[in-house]
Amino acid sequence: MAEIRAEEPASTISKTFLIKPKLKSKPRSLPQTPESKYWSSFKSTKIPNLVSSISSLSFSPSPPHLFAAAYSASVSLFSPLSLSDGDVSPSSTISSFSDVVSSISFRNDGLLLATSDLSGLVQVFDVKTRTPLRRLRSHTRPVRFVKYPVLDKLHLLSGGDDAVVKFWDVAGESVVLDLMGHKDYVRCSDCSPVSPDLFVTGSYDHTVKVWDVRVENSRSVLEVNHGKPVEDVIYLPSGGLIATAGGNSVKIWDLIGGGRMVYSMESHNKTVTSICVGRVRKENDGAESMEDRILSVGLDGYMKVFDFGNMKVTHSMRFLAPLMSVSFSPDCRTRVIGTSNGIIFAGRRKGKENVESGRVGNVLGFESISESERRVLKPTYFRYFHRGQSEKPTEGDYLVMRNKKIKLAEHDKLLKKFRHKDALVSVLSRKNRENVVAVMEELVARKKLLKCVSNLDSDELGLLLTFLSKNATMPRYSSLLMGLTKKVIEMRVEDIRNSDALKGHIRNLKRSIEEELRIQHSLQEIQALGTSRASSVNLFSGLGNLHLPSLQTSLTPAALLTSASLILMFGNKSRMAFVNFF
Amino acid sequence: MMRGGRSLVSSPPAFSNDAKKLLVCTSNTVSVFSTVTGLLITSLEGHTALVTSVIVVPPSNPAAKVLCYCWTASLDGTIRYWDFSLPELMKTIDIRMPIFSMVIPSFLDVPAEENGKHQDLFAYVSIEDTKETQERTKASRRQIRKCNLSKSRLVGRLILGETRKPEVLTVSPSGKFFGIRNKCKLHIWKVLDQGSERAAVRKITLHHTKKITVIAFHPTQRIIAAGDVTGRILTWRGFGNRAFAASNGVADQKLINVQEDKPGVRDNDDADSCSTWHWHSAEVNVLSFSSDGSYLYSGGKEGVLVVWQLDTGKKKFLPRIGSPLLYFIDSPDPTLSSISCADNQIHLLKMPSMGILKTISGIKAPCFYPDIYEGLGNGIAFDQTAGIVAVRTENYCIQFYSLFDDRGVSEVQVCERNHQPGDDVTVIVTSVALSIDGSLMSTSEVKLAEEGIGGLVCLKFWDAGSQNKEFSLSTIVYEPHRDAGISAVKFHPSGNMVVSSSFGGDFKVWKCNHDVIQNDQMRQNFSWTCHSVGSYKKKPMTAAAFSADGSVLAVAAETLITLWNPYKNVLLAVLGETLTPIVNLSFVGKSDNLVAASCGSNPQLSVWNMSKLSVSWSYKLHIEAVASAVDLSSFAALVLLPESSKKTTFKGMDGVILLFNATDPVPTVIWSVRKAKGGALCFVQVNPSSVEEISIDGKAPEVLLAYMNGDHEYVLFDPYCKDAREVSVSQKEGLAAHDHKGQAGQYGYASIYGELPEFDRKRPEAPWVPSFPSDRPWETIFSGSSHNLPPLTKLCSAFLESLLEKRTAAAE
Repeated sequence: MAEIRAEEPASTISKTFLIKPKLKSKPRSLPQTPESKYWSSFKSTKIPNLVSSISSLSFSPSPPHLFAAAYSASVSLFSPLSLSDGDVSPSSTISSFSDVVSSISFRNDGLLLATSDLSGLVQVFDVKTRTPLRRLRSHTRPVRFVKYPVLDKLHLLSGGDDAVVKFWDVAGESVVLDLMGHKDYVRCSDCSPVSPDLFVTGSYDHTVKVWDVRVENSRSVLEVNHGKPVEDVIYLPSGGLIATAGGNSVKIWDLIGGGRMVYSMESHNKTVTSICVGRVRKENDGAESMEDRILSVGLDGYMKVFDFGNMKVTHSMRFLAPLMSVSFSPDCRTRVIGTSNGIIFAGRRKGKENVESGRVGNVLGFESISESERRVLKPTYFRYFHRGQSEKPTEGDYLVMRNKKIKLAEHDKLLKKFRHKDALVSVLSRKNRENVVAVMEELVARKKLLKCVSNLDSDELGLLLTFLSKNATMPRYSSLLMGLTKKVIEMRVEDIRNSDALKGHIRNLKRSIEEELRIQHSLQEIQALGTSRASSVNLFSGLGNLHLPSLQTSLTPAALLTSASLILMFGNKSRMAFVNFF
Repeated sequence: MMRGGRSLVSSPPAFSNDAKKLLVCTSNTVSVFSTVTGLLITSLEGHTALVTSVIVVPPSNPAAKVLCYCWTASLDGTIRYWDFSLPELMKTIDIRMPIFSMVIPSFLDVPAEENGKHQDLFAYVSIEDTKETQERTKASRRQIRKCNLSKSRLVGRLILGETRKPEVLTVSPSGKFFGIRNKCKLHIWKVLDQGSERAAVRKITLHHTKKITVIAFHPTQRIIAAGDVTGRILTWRGFGNRAFAASNGVADQKLINVQEDKPGVRDNDDADSCSTWHWHSAEVNVLSFSSDGSYLYSGGKEGVLVVWQLDTGKKKFLPRIGSPLLYFIDSPDPTLSSISCADNQIHLLKMPSMGILKTISGIKAPCFYPDIYEGLGNGIAFDQTAGIVAVRTENYCIQFYSLFDDRGVSEVQVCERNHQPGDDVTVIVTSVALSIDGSLMSTSEVKLAEEGIGGLVCLKFWDAGSQNKEFSLSTIVYEPHRDAGISAVKFHPSGNMVVSSSFGGDFKVWKCNHDVIQNDQMRQNFSWTCHSVGSYKKKPMTAAAFSADGSVLAVAAETLITLWNPYKNVLLAVLGETLTPIVNLSFVGKSDNLVAASCGSNPQLSVWNMSKLSVSWSYKLHIEAVASAVDLSSFAALVLLPESSKKTTFKGMDGVILLFNATDPVPTVIWSVRKAKGGALCFVQVNPSSVEEISIDGKAPEVLLAYMNGDHEYVLFDPYCKDAREVSVSQKEGLAAHDHKGQAGQYGYASIYGELPEFDRKRPEAPWVPSFPSDRPWETIFSGSSHNLPPLTKLCSAFLESLLEKRTAAAE
């Protein structure tokens, strides 16, 4: 409420009321949570025109966290820093592949990049020079994934359509272990973040197997059944949980608990193609901390953010293409999503350049607390008398509040002085339509609106007509504005005839009303289909046909408005009804 | 028996000598308020009609300042002398003629008692001579007479003047002059030295071209100011130099001759000069000189107090008081004065700065709207548990008024607008409803369209904080029923549901979702959403009511009553039908009876039995209000008497309150009341704290009936106590005496039980027949859903019969 009470006994009984627009109804959905605000704060950049489906995306673990995208028979490296400047061209491209690149993986120091392609070849490149250092040839069928272990610089993991998972010694270009066990194409794997020996692989035989290279007989340690062909599997940061994606669902499994399913998230409508771990900044009791989330993308074009602590989907975002791959940078500032039609949606967030991760942030936070405290002021100090107006009160001070100043907009001030026309013109030139409608309603309450209209000069009338032509057909305001439009044209028909500019406004008005009529017609037809009230629509469209030609020929806009407003009144209701109906 | 809600502004108030008390005429009592707290201290009771003047005896020496004596005059023809500190009646002078106004000019000149020689105290009164009705026309019966207060009689045969209307006397602060206005003229009398009581007083007349509304005398000089209906303020200086000087026998030839020296004075009037100020746009109601004579206060209909500097004519304002001003009274304390406003508020002003210190708040008068907006209801809602009534006021507020304490509790601004008296009505608060516990309120307002543009109906929901009664807005619904007006808003007994019915043919049930927000202080957050919509044959819904347990919702669809399950929105039954649209529905307590009142050409009060779904009995009565207590099986109805019986039997009483037992068509008690039009009724539960004041014979009533008349005066009484009935009857006489007509004291209602049989005899003739297969049954027999229809054989005969009847009627 705008009721503002002075601290002292009021000298007048009346109060100052501001002219405020009508309240809008609140949306039924929940207001934006801090988390969805966080996810929306990634400023989206589109990297278009890559040849085909983005099969894999990967971030370099070392700053400045370059990311590599595999598409068709090439791999491009992008710099996130140049993204924020709006530069979407790749910083470098490797295109010496004979077939489609299926997967890429950075070594944990970010110096080497492993790639796999559908010819069955696994290659290791130097990121800086882009020269292939090693070629690992052993797979007989297309290779689907290659992975550097998180804590190991010497080995590689790869697998493919021959259902064999191979553990390589990179330096010697030799296979250390052939891990048999999958009965169908192996599609994905991830290496444990806590142990150099453990990794998981997922296959189209619906199973996810956990392997340990220390086990003698090359048999899987643990096996879980996802129930659908597995598209992607990741370790969650603790190392004890894994998440698998397959079909429409993302499932979370407890490995330490013997492969028990913890939760199944089924909010995608089509196959989930890729998942990765994302981080979100949380504020709990003032302390800032990072929490982990699962980002999943699917062919339905949605990216979902899943909080696996609370087992809730906390955010969801729609893209206009099937999504193939997702990745989230270790510094929590970039997330990239690849689509099936060669577009990368890269999102970058503003922030301190040196924030590495949550743990580093905590250290910084600690530093900010230990700021040196200033000495307490006492009335005996000289400095005490030199305090300025900006001095904050101390705890024991008695506060004398100044009366809150009521901030009046220009139209409020003019209305207070009963300069009604000036107020209307002032608010019309401000372009805030809610305020304009509020001022008009106030003028109606003072029974002065029509007098104002009759006093407007030609420029101001043009302003009013512009406003009306833009807004008269909005359902929210049309009950007031249609009537007003009619009255304005009736009252000022002479002025409009004499001015070409005003005639132009009237043409715009006519156009917007015709547009609205067209919408109403189509809505009516749809509604009639739904409710089998064909007769009323026929009657209605007959009415429209009757009037529309006459509009085009006649020069008297008032007649146009009369018929149009009649139809509109009817139409608005039906539009509401239409919305309700569905 | 409690009464209250009386007008505080019927006559000018008066300050006590120490300025700590304010004496306010409140109908036939004088209420003494503290100026520090604004609360009632005591009241002087004794007059039997409206008190018109109260005059505090000024102190003759500084030591006498603490003395608290006052004179009061009343329409009952008595002048009384009080000690208002005790309070105690000291003396009564009966002059047997209603007194409209009284002044006592000569307090200052009265020598004190110690002088040895006691001199008589004279008052001048404006009276109506009721005795000599035959030989004189009514016009000249209003007289200005002199009254010897010391000897308790009028000074015989001395008539100073006669006027057409009862006029208010104004006395100069010096006590030398007093005057009245008479259309376009001013009459001024000079008070002569004490001497004999028959000494003739001299009169002069000043003329003006417009009707004069108010006059004021300068405290020291011979200056008189008058305001007229056009808003001009005229100031005559040096009035009466000729006539009053000549009274001393010294004829001053020079003054008579030199007429050119009198600028602005008309018609050779006896004044030196006349100047005019014009600021007010409408008539001036308030004129008063400051005590030192250098300022003039004026005010009028526009609600602005203007301070004029007398020498220069410079103005200062106290703007936006929001109501027409009626009186401005200076107190002996120079820093305090009071203004009385037409909305029944007295504001105490801190003087040089004119800030409002305190407000003595009476119940605000009902607001009257043009006839187009009739049928909006009276805008009165009761909080039964706390004994608080909510009335809508002219300045778009809802005023909460405590019935037990007889003072305003708070005010809630419903529309964010300031009211300016004299404005066109553009926004109307149409209805107000309170939940049973009084913590929730719902209001509806209509913004009127300007030539068909921009009309808006608004439904608002309010909730009160837990401790204080400050209501805050929780939900606004714009156009709840499209553009149709709201006919009724009612709360569910549990408080979390509201039904609003509209003339547009539907009703909506609103549901409250409240969630507790736990920030610094616990705060409940209410939000209301539409739960269901219902309509019946597109008929306008005119009234609605929830049953006491909340399981049934009754909505009147013009002449039919539809019963709904409010939770599931299922039509349970249709009760038909009355002759004219129903305007009021009410369930009788916990019993299974429903009272419906319809008005119009064929008014009706009908009681429907919910178990049988039929009329149990009905009367042809014009019902203004119906009230039923929560846990009783009886209800009270306020009945407007038809024009014919008003004159003969009830002598100005235009309404009766009937108390019924729902099962019995014979009323258990009948009271007769005045000004029933626009009145309201409610059963108020008694809370223990206020029991002592109300209890009669040491027995506390459990429930009281509150009746509020069309002027918002109210009375609380126990409808079941036998003794209370006696009390209330005698008090009704008092209520009757509120009327300003001023007839002598015999209101013929003391013999209420004598008249009752006649009243009852008339009634049962028509209405005893249970329900009515009315003259056109073919309209009713097919109403209702198809599976509820009686068998065809039964229907057929009835239908054919009705046709036959019609034809015979046509044949005749």
